[in-house]
Amino acid sequence: MIRPTRTSSGIAALALALAVTALLITNPAAAFAAGSLALFLLWRGWRFEQDLASAAASLTVDREVDRTILRQGTAATVRVRADCAVPPGMEVRVRDLPPAVAAGDAPPSPPGKTATYTIRLMAPGETSFGGVVLEAADAFFAASLLCRRFGGPEIRVFPAGAAGDGRGRGAGSGDTEVERRAALAGQGILGFRPYQTGDDPGLIDWKVTARRDALYVRQPTGLEGGAPLIAVDLPPRAGDDPAAFARFSMAVSGAVEGAINSRDGCSLLVIAGPEIVRFLPRTMEIREALAALGGLAPIEPRAPLYRSPGPAVLAARARVPRRGAGEEETAYLARLSGALSAFAAESPAPFAAAVRAAFGRAEVQEVRIYSLLPPGDKSHLVQLAREAKVRGMRVVLRAPAGSPALPGVDTVEAI
Amino acid sequence: MTDRRFLLLCAGEVLVVAVGNLAAALILQVIVLGAYLGDRRGYWAFIPAAALFAAVIAVFGTVLLPLLGLAAALGCGYALLTLYDYRLTTWAGGEA
Repeated sequence: MIRPTRTSSGIAALALALAVTALLITNPAAAFAAGSLALFLLWRGWRFEQDLASAAASLTVDREVDRTILRQGTAATVRVRADCAVPPGMEVRVRDLPPAVAAGDAPPSPPGKTATYTIRLMAPGETSFGGVVLEAADAFFAASLLCRRFGGPEIRVFPAGAAGDGRGRGAGSGDTEVERRAALAGQGILGFRPYQTGDDPGLIDWKVTARRDALYVRQPTGLEGGAPLIAVDLPPRAGDDPAAFARFSMAVSGAVEGAINSRDGCSLLVIAGPEIVRFLPRTMEIREALAALGGLAPIEPRAPLYRSPGPAVLAARARVPRRGAGEEETAYLARLSGALSAFAAESPAPFAAAVRAAFGRAEVQEVRIYSLLPPGDKSHLVQLAREAKVRGMRVVLRAPAGSPALPGVDTVEAI
Repeated sequence: MTDRRFLLLCAGEVLVVAVGNLAAALILQVIVLGAYLGDRRGYWAFIPAAALFAAVIAVFGTVLLPLLGLAAALGCGYALLTLYDYRLTTWAGGEA
C-alpha cells in the first residue's frame, strides 16, 4: 500500500486545520481551500499509482549467479541489474530478494546499475530467487512493490557433508563425488558453475553439461595440506573499490569452507591492525566458522604499531655475532647484543603475545594470511609472520596480484 | 527546501482564505498548487474537480454539507485507490 510522505502528511494536516476554521467561522473560501487540498492529495495518490504501475510494467531484471550448483552453506555471488522507465518526479530503487533459504541481503540499487552481493544457501534442494522489490517514491507518496516474476536462475544445493553428483532428476548414471579421503590428498569438487570465457576446458564436466544443456565446469577444492590457521587482516577502510573487499571476503569464506570440507577443520584469526577481532581455534563446524566471519567490515585500528618490529625480530637482531675484527668491535657488538636483548625482553608487545597464544591454542603447521595489503603500516603482519616462523610454521600470504612480499612469508599467492 | 516550499504553500492558503470570493479563491488555489508542484503532468485532471467543489459550495451557500459530501467522495476515491493498489500488488506478485 502506498505510504504518505512528510509533505503529504503536512498538507493533510493543513487541510484539516482549514476545514475546522471553515466550520468555526463559516467561511466558504476556507472550506474550498480545505476541500481542494484533500482533492489534490487524492489526485496525487492516483497519479503515483499510475506512475508505479508504468514503472513496474517496464521493469526488466538481469540476474547472474556465479554458481548454480553448490553445497549447503557455500557462498554464491549474485550480480543483478534492473532496468525500468522512471517517470519524471519519481525516484526508483530496486532491491533483489534472495531465495528464502539464503542468508544475506541485497543492497537497493537504482535502475541501470548492477548490484553485487553474496548469499549463502543454508538448506539443500532446488530453490530460486524471490523476485525484486521496486521501491518508488515521489514528493507525496512512497511504496514498495514486490515483483515475483523475476525468480531465475534456479539454484541446486547439495546437503553439507553429502556427496554431490551433479545429476538431474531422473538421471540413472554419472560421476559421483565421494567423501573418502585418500592417502594422497587430491582434488575434491566444491561445486559446479556455468562455463565462463577463459576457463580451463579440461574442467568442463560433460555429464552435467549434457544434462543442463549448457557448459558447466567443476570447481575443485584445490590441493591443500594440513589443518591451517586462516588469518584475516581486515583493511582500515573499504577504499575506492568495495568490489575488492567483496572479493576478499569471498576468498576468505571460500578458504574456510574448503579447509573445513576437505580437511580436519581450521582455526580462524581475524585481526584489524594490531587488534584481534575474533579467534576461533580448531573448528570443524562450518556454521560456527561462517558465523565468526559474518558481518566483517573494514575497521580502523585504534592502536597502530608504528612500524614496531616486535619481539621476534628484536630477538633475531640481538643474535649478532659476539666477535668482531678487533677488540673494540667485539666490545661494541657485546654491548649492542646486550642492549637489543634487553629491549627484546622488556619490549611490551601485547599483539605478538596474543598471536603467540593463539598459535599455541590452534596447534597448526601452516598459517594463511589473507590481506588486501593497503598502504600504510604492515608491522602487525610482519609480527604475525615472524611469530609463525618462530614456531616453525609455513606462512602463506594471499593478497591482491602484484602485492609486495613481507618478511617471513614463504609464499605469496594472488587472491 | 521542502519545508520552505511547504511554508509558502501555507502562506498561499492564507491568501486563498483571505480573498473571500470563491471564484478568485479557485484561481488562486490553482496557481498556488501549480506553483508548489515540480512536475505538473496531469494537473488538468485536478482543476475540474476543484472547480466542481467550488460550484457545490456556491450552490449550497453553506460549508457543512459540501464538506460532508466531499468527505464521502474522498472515502470512495480512497477505496478505489486501494482497490487499484491491490490489483497492482497481485499482478506484480504473480497471483493475477
